[in-house]
Amino acid sequence: MPITSLDLDAHLSVAGTPAASFARLWRILWKQPYVSPGLLEMCRLTLARLHRDVTEIAAENAFVPGGLTPEQRKLVLAGKAARSEQLSNLEKAVLDFTETYGLDPQSLTDAQAAEVASHIGESGLVFLIEALGCLDGRIRVARCLRGLTGSGGSEAEHVR
Amino acid sequence: MSAKPRASVSGTRTGNPIRDSALGRVAETVDEIVTLNHEVWHQSLVSPTLLEIIRLRNARTVNCVFCKAVRYEIAREDGLTEARAQMIDDHYRASALAEREKLAIALADAYLGFPAGVTPELARRLDTEFSPPEIAAMLVALLAFNFTSRTAVSIGGMPEEPLPLTLLPMTAT
Repeated sequence: MPITSLDLDAHLSVAGTPAASFARLWRILWKQPYVSPGLLEMCRLTLARLHRDVTEIAAENAFVPGGLTPEQRKLVLAGKAARSEQLSNLEKAVLDFTETYGLDPQSLTDAQAAEVASHIGESGLVFLIEALGCLDGRIRVARCLRGLTGSGGSEAEHVR
Repeated sequence: MSAKPRASVSGTRTGNPIRDSALGRVAETVDEIVTLNHEVWHQSLVSPTLLEIIRLRNARTVNCVFCKAVRYEIAREDGLTEARAQMIDDHYRASALAEREKLAIALADAYLGFPAGVTPELARRLDTEFSPPEIAAMLVALLAFNFTSRTAVSIGGMPEEPLPLTLLPMTAT
């Protein structure tokens, strides 16, 4: 199986205690009171789409039993989730924030941050920002490891 | 970039820059983030110099004004002088940095690129200089530096202009 953000820790464990700490942080992200695992999974898929990472998109997330509904996946992968009438205002605010974060965190607006904070509070906003950094970083490391281990296939050509 | 922070600081005065920042507001994650930062600086399989080179390359790419203005004492004591830190720029390949240091920058650029990814040629070059555990250690450090600096940028409140350099003592890590 190609390496993805979801099974990264097994591959990084040779780095010792820093990798163990990062693995613990990863598990904490899926058990907190601010963003549900399902919504966080929609964030992961949004970032995977922005990275055009088909391996990451295809991976099944064990932290989200049952996964997303087909409709949710379709909306996220089509880039339409942040404006969909089928999602709640919280989901749309978080996914709109995620979309901009994935493209360029410096482009985030005060209005986007305020909209997220209006649903999950200031601590929730900070948590979301941390979580997006972890998700995006893990997708990046997985891509690098696939290149380092020669398991990236055409992906390696893509970044040449 | 927002001139005003979008989240207030934690209100604690522990002396730990992570715990006392807005990250301190998230009780569920702050302890592990502090631990991660400590582990990266004190238990990594690569030298503090290499870690600082990676951190500064990330700070430059993310444009984190705070991160760019900090120098870690632990790396300074390991031999990364300010003159050498200044070599981590667009012309680093022609600089006096060692081959291992240049490769660490190339790995950071591979991680920070869009799309991220390591070419077969870079993979071969890294393999000649570093063991797989050392490469994993650099990737974990990159993850830690990148997500915390992007968090700082996203929270906002950064000055537009560069800040004076600050040497961060080992006790802060």
